[in-house]
Amino acid sequence: MDNAAEVQEREDSIKGVGCSRKRKEDARFVQGTGRYTDDLKLPGMLFADMVRSPYAHARIKSINKEKALALPGVHAVLTADDLKPLNLHWMPTLAGDVQAVLADEKVHFQYQEVAVVIADDRYIAADAIELVEVEYEELDVLVDPHRSMDDDAPILREDLVGKMDGAHSKRVHDNHIFNWQAGEKEATDRVFEQAEITVKQEMYYPRVHPCPMETCGCVASFDKINEHLTVHLTSQAPHVVRTVVSMLSGIPESKIRIVSPDIGGGFGNKVGIYPGYVVSIVASIVLGVPVKWVEDRMENISTTAFARDYHMTGELAADSEGRIKALRVNVLADHGAFDACADPSKFPAGLMHICTGSYDIPVAHLNVDGVYTNKAPGGVAYRCSFRVTEAVYVIERTIDVLAQKLGIDKAEIRRRNFVKAEQFPYQTCLGWELDSGDYHTALEKVLDAVDYEALRKEQQEKRAQGELMGIGLCTFTEIVGAGPSRNCDILGVGMFDSAEIRVHPTGSVMARMGTITQGQGHQTTYAQIIATELGISSDEISIEEGDTDTAPYGLGTYGSRSTPVGGAATAVAARKIRAKAQKIAAHLLEVSENDLEWEVDRFKVKGVPGQEKTMKEVAWAAYNNVPEGMEPGLEAVDYYDPPNFTYPFGIYLCVVDIDKATGETSVRRFYALDDCGTRINPMIIEGQIHGGLTEGFAVAMGQEMPFDEQGNLLGNTLMDYFVPTFVETPHWETDYTVTPSPHHPLGAKGVAESPHVGSIPCFTSAVVDAFAHLDVTHMNMPHSAYRVWQKVHELGLDQHA
Amino acid sequence: MQVDLDKQFDLPGSTTQGWEFLQDIPGVASCMPGAEITDKIDDNNYKGKVKMKIGPAAMAFNGDIVINSVDAVKREINLIGKGQDSKGSSSASMDLTASIIETDGGMSALKGNASVTVTGKAASMGGRMMMQVADQILNQFGSNFADHIAAMGEGREAEEAREHIAEQPQEINGLKFAWTVFIGWLRSLFGGK
Repeated sequence: MDNAAEVQEREDSIKGVGCSRKRKEDARFVQGTGRYTDDLKLPGMLFADMVRSPYAHARIKSINKEKALALPGVHAVLTADDLKPLNLHWMPTLAGDVQAVLADEKVHFQYQEVAVVIADDRYIAADAIELVEVEYEELDVLVDPHRSMDDDAPILREDLVGKMDGAHSKRVHDNHIFNWQAGEKEATDRVFEQAEITVKQEMYYPRVHPCPMETCGCVASFDKINEHLTVHLTSQAPHVVRTVVSMLSGIPESKIRIVSPDIGGGFGNKVGIYPGYVVSIVASIVLGVPVKWVEDRMENISTTAFARDYHMTGELAADSEGRIKALRVNVLADHGAFDACADPSKFPAGLMHICTGSYDIPVAHLNVDGVYTNKAPGGVAYRCSFRVTEAVYVIERTIDVLAQKLGIDKAEIRRRNFVKAEQFPYQTCLGWELDSGDYHTALEKVLDAVDYEALRKEQQEKRAQGELMGIGLCTFTEIVGAGPSRNCDILGVGMFDSAEIRVHPTGSVMARMGTITQGQGHQTTYAQIIATELGISSDEISIEEGDTDTAPYGLGTYGSRSTPVGGAATAVAARKIRAKAQKIAAHLLEVSENDLEWEVDRFKVKGVPGQEKTMKEVAWAAYNNVPEGMEPGLEAVDYYDPPNFTYPFGIYLCVVDIDKATGETSVRRFYALDDCGTRINPMIIEGQIHGGLTEGFAVAMGQEMPFDEQGNLLGNTLMDYFVPTFVETPHWETDYTVTPSPHHPLGAKGVAESPHVGSIPCFTSAVVDAFAHLDVTHMNMPHSAYRVWQKVHELGLDQHA
Repeated sequence: MQVDLDKQFDLPGSTTQGWEFLQDIPGVASCMPGAEITDKIDDNNYKGKVKMKIGPAAMAFNGDIVINSVDAVKREINLIGKGQDSKGSSSASMDLTASIIETDGGMSALKGNASVTVTGKAASMGGRMMMQVADQILNQFGSNFADHIAAMGEGREAEEAREHIAEQPQEINGLKFAWTVFIGWLRSLFGGK
């Protein structure tokens, strides 16, 4: 065997970066031996269940617990009045507001938590909640956010009346939460006044719910003897939960252990702190026994964090060639009854100011007003970085409208406006620095792959025959990996992340991170990063996350931040180990460390074949033979504060055929090209893309949370709420280009959310495109058969000639 | 969730008989499948109960009925019923105006206009079916009402009506309803409305 082949074989055997290594997590998941929060059974454990309001807005006149307390097996019934002495009837939200843990005198949304019952088992608890008698006095309900700031709108938050200094800005109405702006208003308005062409499109991004397979839940267990609190819960950010619990309870963080076990999907739904967690902890402290709370599906969809609900207006000013001169975006954000958005503290509209997209736009202005309505709180990033899905939707939709107005093909208008490869790093006019990209190359690759010209020709023919065929295009840029602590923090804690790696004497590795996997495959991919950096097979590397007693402090996993931040910390910590290992190797080989070079899994003396030490040999020596003055052991910790976000991008193209008789949209083809820089595990990326596209399909084609005028949520069961199965899911074609991030240690960017962010506007683009020749510029989601049929009907296309 | 319904049922009797019965609040309530008056507070205020069973799910609404107006000249009555299900997860209210009108040939009819509002789980789970279900409940109500009028008379028909009244189920049976709702829906599809 020649040398190169031998090196390649060693390279392959460590299964490092670039290897489609099978997921280490799957063995337990496919065998049903994953350990989820609800699997945990502790001795003496009691169960909590919630009494919830049938009204969206009502005053609580009385609560009678007597009958419930009389039921055998019921231990306690707690209301806001019981939590008041502990000052826990309200809790702070991540967005600088407060939220009622249990309704205090008033309910603000349907299904709001009114009282909690603690009982021997969940069946008794379920019976007992029906025995709690609550007398309500109905109040006028505010459902439409456009009415929130009317003079005669019912005032929702009596606790905030007169407090006009909001957490983010002055409030101009009692139902106003904040006004937030980015960019230059006057300069933008001036461009619009003088522009050759302007377009304006209103659009509604519906309220949707991440609806993970596992609902939210926890098991709180307070040890009265040692005053030590352990909480197992479904959290995407266990360390942040520990900090918040400590701040609320006064228990030192060192006496609180938060464990996120296996999590059955999060998608943003498991970032927040919910009343169920708080009351379980309180109940466990008061009763001295473990208390479990797990929500059912209706509770999940109705009460724990929704996503989106943005009423947006996108405007573009351009010249007659379609070159964009300015962008203006206005948003009315429906935050529900409490502002519990999970965004970095400084950004009440998340990273919405990435709304300039992939385009070279000279000037822009973004204006967002957040308002209260009688709906559940939330506003999380559903498989996306904070509000990026909304941002991408508004720019991608509006540029389509501009193309349509000018009669320019939607691929061509993008070509004319893309940030060019040589412009990177590119400063957007709203303050972001796009790290790297090559949009033109990626676009042409996709157009060639699907034979775009032929598709357009076919569409012309179909239109001539009266058939509806649409071609959607989305050329998005994401902003992921929050984030640099200079602009990103949660409750004052910078959004760094961490890794701690220990190499054992025999050369195996244990590593722990501040992130937490919920299906992303961290146990597989983090090991690959370490494998490549240290030359140790990823099969010998164990990854642990989610236990705050053992893992280093980190901000958790959401907003595609694990690879950009946690992955970077892992690479940097591993490099610290390799630097020390190099010194030990030099000592063992009796040469200067500068005389050594690294090759896959060993240090070699330059120019002296055979003089080498493998990392395994070095690991052993680290515990018995280190250079004089060096401390023994081989481990490192890194807290990585990223210099910038990473900006993955993609070009998605979708072809749909619409049945005029039924409105049914059939996705004939969906081609997704993603560029996430360096690809750590192509198989996992592929899986993530498939998952994200499927969730994007769900949002675009069916998911919504409709409310009637009384504030009843009419879509909170899986009979109504669309979760696609293989039956509905289209076939996905994937592709990629690689444009590494210049600032990430591995050149990697986040990826798991791109397919969600990018596919949703692509579906809308395709559906609207089917009607574009009839002067339709936009159709609001979801593009369900009924809604599409309504458009068909409105246009008279279902009438026989 | 709110639905508005307008209904008219022919009655086998005179306007006088119809009006007499319409003022008998417990009697009228008993025409509503599953409903009964449990307590009379005064002439204008009653407490009542509606039981519903759909498969294994049973719901009982306890509530107050307030008679807002009784207009003998127009033979019209307006009442508001408002209740919360005993499990606290749903509530319902109905604003009903009912009158007895004269029809051709000296016969009479019961004319009703109801606005029904449902909140909570009942709206979330059953909102889609509400129009059809409310429609069927009112049809049942109309036929029971007519039975009571017929029962005021003599002869075989009155006898049969009295039997119907005695056989009336004590709660709304959802599965049976589901069938009538389905049939009603099928009819509407084929334009048989």
